[in-house]
Amino acid sequence: MERIRDFFALEGFVEIETPIMVAAPGMEPNLAQFKTELADERGRKKTAYLITSPEYSCKKMLAAGMDKIFSLGKVFRNEEPYSSSAGELVTHNPEFTMIEWYRAGEDYRKLMDDTERLVKYCAEKIPSSFRGAESDEKSQRQNNALGSLTTFGMTGEPWLRISVKEAFAKIGLNLDQILTRDTMAKAATERGYAVSSNDSFDDCFFKIFLTEIEPKLGVERPTILYDYPIQMAALSRAKPEDPRYAERFEVYANGLELANAFSELIDPAEQRRRLLEERELRGSLGKDQPPLDEDFISAVGDMKPSAGIALGVDRLVMLITGARSIEDVILFPASELFNNK
Amino acid sequence: MRTTADIAKDVVMRWKNDLYAIVDFQHVNPGKGSAFVRTRLKNVRSGKVIENTFKSGEELDIVDVEKKKMQYLFSDATTATFMDRNTYDQVAVPLELIGDRKGYLKEGLECNLVIFDGNPVNIEFPKKIAYVVSYAPDAVRGDTSNKVTKEIELETGMKINVPIFIKTGEKIVISTETGEYVERTTE
Repeated sequence: MERIRDFFALEGFVEIETPIMVAAPGMEPNLAQFKTELADERGRKKTAYLITSPEYSCKKMLAAGMDKIFSLGKVFRNEEPYSSSAGELVTHNPEFTMIEWYRAGEDYRKLMDDTERLVKYCAEKIPSSFRGAESDEKSQRQNNALGSLTTFGMTGEPWLRISVKEAFAKIGLNLDQILTRDTMAKAATERGYAVSSNDSFDDCFFKIFLTEIEPKLGVERPTILYDYPIQMAALSRAKPEDPRYAERFEVYANGLELANAFSELIDPAEQRRRLLEERELRGSLGKDQPPLDEDFISAVGDMKPSAGIALGVDRLVMLITGARSIEDVILFPASELFNNK
Repeated sequence: MRTTADIAKDVVMRWKNDLYAIVDFQHVNPGKGSAFVRTRLKNVRSGKVIENTFKSGEELDIVDVEKKKMQYLFSDATTATFMDRNTYDQVAVPLELIGDRKGYLKEGLECNLVIFDGNPVNIEFPKKIAYVVSYAPDAVRGDTSNKVTKEIELETGMKINVPIFIKTGEKIVISTETGEYVERTTE
């Protein structure tokens, strides 16, 4: 954490502290928020949520005129697998540490550079004795990708960068031709996946992606996967030269998803439309439908063109230390606190 | 109908007109997408392992299987024969089902045979098995290449890497889950 703060201080960023409990949380259709109740001295109650990301607060600060900010703190996500069963490796904890940073006047390319430099900066400063904590041969082998991560950190060899379209081309699919729900579903069915009529575009996309593409990402060295289909990026801007794709990227290393970034959407009307759409989708998935954050929507209209990224700090520590399970890098993992073992 | 929530190692399901045993699985929540379960499935007839991803909550045709404790007797070119110690019934299991775990088979070893519709569809080995080392080369003195392991041969003919202090005739324990050396034993 110290290294992360160092890095951003050197880069001239301002740290902002953002609320963890809010009235209007993120609307991502597939994230479940922790919900609680806020009461005043007379017992009048209001619904409160724990944030899944400090994104809204950060963007409000961007709208207020700040241009290089970061927020380092806890975020919460419910209904995710947090304890290991039958030898499965755990990569989620319901509360985890996230670093988000934003740059006004820049796009996602700048963030790709930031991310790569940040990870290398952190890896270089860690004494080698902490890397690959277990030294038996088995964990060494499983940590091969880590080995390359730290080697790369030292030698400065660049990470791989590949677009989603190129990744699909490698398995013989032209993504341009399967950007609708039905064409993607057909492609998935042809490749032997079970597709049901209520599977969305994203569901079909992920069935192919998680089986054939993701396991191969970031194996030799960290990989940046960029330019997602526009429907998969609610808060990001379309590519000016091809509006079917959004300026979004994710970082994969050693089979783990490490970070997610966008060139931010700055059109409040479009923002409202997408949030309402997601809210509706949440309803149809039987999830909670929290209120829209109106301050956030108007803030979007006051923002300069900006780019922002969220990176999971616990997973970064896993990569650098070679831990195989997130439980190994958290002092009090939820699986122990809640007695799953 | 059961769903992805019932997925566990060695569960058998009917899929695409074939039976598959679950070898490995992992829950994944990709970048703000829905939850999925990534699986490695073994076709119980051909032994071929494939990968597939299911959406959480999707219905799966998981079948009920019977597990029988049986003792390994011998193998020929295509099958391994097991015997029920109570009834003396013998069952021939196609070697494809056993695949590269064949090297774990030694006479008298007790395994769980997974039976569906009267046919063996999978074998569950004990998690740890002890074997006699049939041949271990001497550690080369003055070898400064930092090698900490050497390859030895077990009584079943299987070759495995172990620490250099292991000698011929000693008994060692192998984990069938990782395929690796665990410890030396005197039992």
